Amino acid sequence: MTQGARRPGFQKVGSDWARAELDRTLLCLGLNVRRVEGDFSIKRSPPVDGTMGESDGEHSIFGPTRTSDENNEFAESTPKPLQKTLNKPFNMTPSKLADANVAPFLAKHIPEQYAPLGPQPGDSVESAMASSRFCYRHRPDLKCRRQADEPTMDKLQHDLESLPQRDRQGIAHVWSLFSAAPPKQRKLMLQGILSQCCFPQLSFISETVDNLVRIDFLAVLPPELSFKILCYLDTASLCKAAQVSRRWKVLADDDVVWHRMCEQHIHRKCKKCGWGLPLLDRKRLRDSKREIELRATNFNMNAAISASSPSHTADTPCSQSEVATINKNKRKSDDIPAEEEAAVKRPCTSIPSAPEEDGDFYTRRRIPWKSVYMKRWKVGNNWRHGRCNVKTFRGHTNGVMCLQFEDNILATGSYDMTIKIWDTDTGKELRTLRGHRAGIRCLQFDDTKLISGSRDGVLKIWNWRTGACIGTHIGHQDGIIGLHFDGGILATASVDTTVKIWNFEGKSTHVLRGHTDWVNAVRIDASSRTVFSASDDCTVRIWDLDTKQCLRIFHGHVGQVQQVALLPREFELDYEEHDAQCENDNHSVLSAAATDSPSPHRTEDDADSVELQTDSFGPFFSSSGDRPEPPRYMITSALDSTVRLWDTMTGKCLRTFFGHVEGVWALSVDNLRVVTGAEDRMVKLWDPRTGLNEGTFTGHLGPVTCVGLGDSRFASGSEDCDVRVYSFEDDEV
Amino acid sequence: MSSGTPSSTITLTSSDGVDVTVERQVAERSVLIKNMLEDLGDSGEAIPVPNVNEAVLKKVIEWCTHHKLDPPSAGDDDDSRRKTTDIDEWDQKFMQVDQEMLFEIILAANYLDIKALLDVGCKTVANMIKGKSPEEIRKTFNIQNDFTPEEEDQIRRENEWAEDR
Repeated sequence: MTQGARRPGFQKVGSDWARAELDRTLLCLGLNVRRVEGDFSIKRSPPVDGTMGESDGEHSIFGPTRTSDENNEFAESTPKPLQKTLNKPFNMTPSKLADANVAPFLAKHIPEQYAPLGPQPGDSVESAMASSRFCYRHRPDLKCRRQADEPTMDKLQHDLESLPQRDRQGIAHVWSLFSAAPPKQRKLMLQGILSQCCFPQLSFISETVDNLVRIDFLAVLPPELSFKILCYLDTASLCKAAQVSRRWKVLADDDVVWHRMCEQHIHRKCKKCGWGLPLLDRKRLRDSKREIELRATNFNMNAAISASSPSHTADTPCSQSEVATINKNKRKSDDIPAEEEAAVKRPCTSIPSAPEEDGDFYTRRRIPWKSVYMKRWKVGNNWRHGRCNVKTFRGHTNGVMCLQFEDNILATGSYDMTIKIWDTDTGKELRTLRGHRAGIRCLQFDDTKLISGSRDGVLKIWNWRTGACIGTHIGHQDGIIGLHFDGGILATASVDTTVKIWNFEGKSTHVLRGHTDWVNAVRIDASSRTVFSASDDCTVRIWDLDTKQCLRIFHGHVGQVQQVALLPREFELDYEEHDAQCENDNHSVLSAAATDSPSPHRTEDDADSVELQTDSFGPFFSSSGDRPEPPRYMITSALDSTVRLWDTMTGKCLRTFFGHVEGVWALSVDNLRVVTGAEDRMVKLWDPRTGLNEGTFTGHLGPVTCVGLGDSRFASGSEDCDVRVYSFEDDEV
Repeated sequence: MSSGTPSSTITLTSSDGVDVTVERQVAERSVLIKNMLEDLGDSGEAIPVPNVNEAVLKKVIEWCTHHKLDPPSAGDDDDSRRKTTDIDEWDQKFMQVDQEMLFEIILAANYLDIKALLDVGCKTVANMIKGKSPEEIRKTFNIQNDFTPEEEDQIRRENEWAEDR
C-alpha cells in the first residue's frame, strides 16, 4: 500500500466518470503492480468476464498473494457502504481511499483471503454467507461457470500491458472489486456503469454481450434434458452434433438418442423427413425401451466421457467387457440385420429361426443403436438412389411363374414343371423338386414345408430341405394359380373360379363361390379371419372365413386383377398429402369412366359401394370378441396396367399408380414400398404413400411374371426363364 | 373459473425473495405446484420456488398464462411419432430471449414440471442446432473444440454417411 500513497492526487471528474478519466482515477486506488503482473491469472478468473450473479470469491485475481500484513492493514480500516464508495470517492487521499473503500469490500466478500485473521464481528455472519452461498447456477460442482476463451483473454492481457503501469493497477482494481462483489452489488455496479455509458459504449456492450451470452446447453443441462434436445434432431444434425466436442459426441452418439431414431424410422416412414428404414427386430426395440429410459435418467456423464476414447467410438456406450465381446464377435454382428429381417417380410412364414445360441447372443451383447441405424440408413439410401447389385439365377427351361425368398433361400416355380431351390449367397442351385405334371403357377414356403400348385389342379407339399414330396392333393377341377397359407389355413385360387379354404388342423375344406372368372390370387389375413381374392372378373373380394360369406366386392379395375396384397396394419397414409392426391385420383377415374363405354353394371356398383360404406364390413362381419377388422389398406395389380391402393373400410380406391405400359402380373408390398412386374418386361418400385414411382428396373427379356420383396432386396422372375435378385445391401452395392 | 376452486390466486416466492401473485389455474400448469396444492391444501401462504429467480418466474408465468386453457398434456408421452420441431408462433416469439434466459426457462420448466414448456424450450435449442455445421454449432454456443485435428478428421469420416441423401 505504500506505493499507493505516492500516487498523485486525482481530479474530480463529475458525471463524466465513465470516460477515459476513469482509468486515471482508478490508478489512485493504489494496488501493487507486481501483484497485478504476477498473479493476474486470466484463465483462472472467470469473474472478469462479468457474469451477472457470479458470487465467486475463491478466484479473485488478487487473492493468493495477499500477505497477512496487508490483511491486517485492511482489517483496521473502516468499512464503508458500497453506495458511498461510488458516489463520493473523491474527498480522500488516494491511500485512504483505497483503504477505506477497497479493502473492507474485499475483506468482507473474500474473507478467507483478505481477512483470514478474522473480520470484524459484525461482518462475520454475512461474510460466511457470501462465500458459501453460491448462486445455484454457479456452484463449482455444477460447472456452470462460463469458460473464458483464450483468444479474448490474451487480447485483454495484451491491451492491458500496453497501458502505463498505473493504469493497469487501476483497471485491475476495478476488476477485483467487481470480482469480489456478490450478485446484488455486482448488479448495482453494472447499473451504475451502464447509466454512464454513452451510445457508442452501449452499442459495444450490446454487441459484446450478444456474443458472450452463449451457453453450451449440452454441457450444463442435466443429461436427461440434453438427450431430450438431441431427440428432436434429424439424422444429419445428430451426426454434426457428434463432431462438436467430446462431450457432445458422447451424448449425440448415445444409445438413448439412436434407439429413439430407430423407433421412429425403422419400418415406417417418418412424416417429418419422408423416408423410412426397413424393419428391424421390433421386439428388440421394445425390449430395450425400458433400459434406454433408465439410461437417460441415470446417465453418468463423467463415466461416459472417460469411457469414450476416439479409438473405439462406435462402442462408446458399452462397458469394456462388452466392447471386448463385440470385437470378438465382429463378424457375427455384421450378419445381424440379415437375420433380423428374416421374420419380417411375410407374416405367413415363421422362418428359420437363428440357432438357439444366437438368440441368446443378441441379448448378451449390444451393437450401438447408432450403428444399427447407420446400416439401415445406408440400405435405405441405396433403395432411394437405385444403387444395387444384381444376381441372375439361370436354370429353368421355361418361364418362371412364382418365387419367394427368405434369408439366403430362394424358391422358384416354373412352367417347366419343376421347383428350384437356390442359395442367394452363392448363387448356386441347391436342388430341384420334380413331380408336378403341369406348369407351376404358385408356391409358398416356410421353415418346414413348401406348398406348390400347378396348372393341372394338383397341390403338392414338399420338404424343401430334402426335396421329398410329402403330400399330393387334387384340390380343384382346373388349374391352381394362386395360393397362400397363414397359421393353419391354406387358401387356393383356381381357374375354376372358386377359392378353396383348407384347414390343416380340422382336415376340412370349403369352397368360396362368387367370382365369375379365373381367380388369380388369394391372401389370408389370419387375425381377422378373412381372405382376399383377385379375379379375372375385374373385381377383388373379401370373404369371412367364419361365415364363408363375401363381405365386400371392390370394383374399379378395368382389366383382370392379377394380384392382391395387404399392407401391414401399422401402415399409415400421409393424409394431408393424400387428400390432395385423392382429388386428382377422382378426376382421373371420372374422366376414364367418361371416355370408357359405360359398363352395364356401373350404377349397380355405385349403389353397392354406397351401401357398403354405411356399415363398414356389412352385416356378415361380426367383430365380436377380440377379432380385429381386416387390414385397412390393400394393393392390387391388374392387366389394365394399373396398380391400385384401396381402403378396405370404405371400399374406395384411394390411389392409382400409373407407369406400366402393359398389364401388371406381379406385385409385392411391405410397409415402405411396392414392387411390381409387368408384361412390359419392367419392374417398378413405388412409394405406397405418395403413389410415386421410385425406380424402374429393366433387364428381363420377357414379361415379368412374379416378384418378391425384402428389406434390402427384391427378386423378379420372368418368362425369359431367368430370376434376377437385386440387392441394396450396403456391402454388396 | 374461480367459482369452482377454493382460492383463485396463490402467491409464489422466487429464489431471490420476491412474491408473485398468480391465478391458481395458471400456477397449476406446473405439476409440481398442482400436486403441492393438492397434497398440502391451500393454506394461503406463499409457496417458495427455490431455483427460480424473479425474472425467470415471471417469464414462466407469462407462458402459463397464455397457455392456461390448453388441454393438459396426455399422460403417455409417446411422442415418438410426432417429434416435429415445429413451434407455434406465439411460443416462438416467447422464446426469443438470450441463451441465459432460455437456459433458465428450461431448468425452471423441468423443476416445476411444466412439460409443454420444457418441450418448447428443448425444441428451441434443437432448432438452434439443426442444419448447422459443427463449427457453426460451436460458434452458436461458444464451445471449444477439444478434439485433436486427427480425432476431428476421424470423427468427421465416421459421420459422413449421414450426408448421403
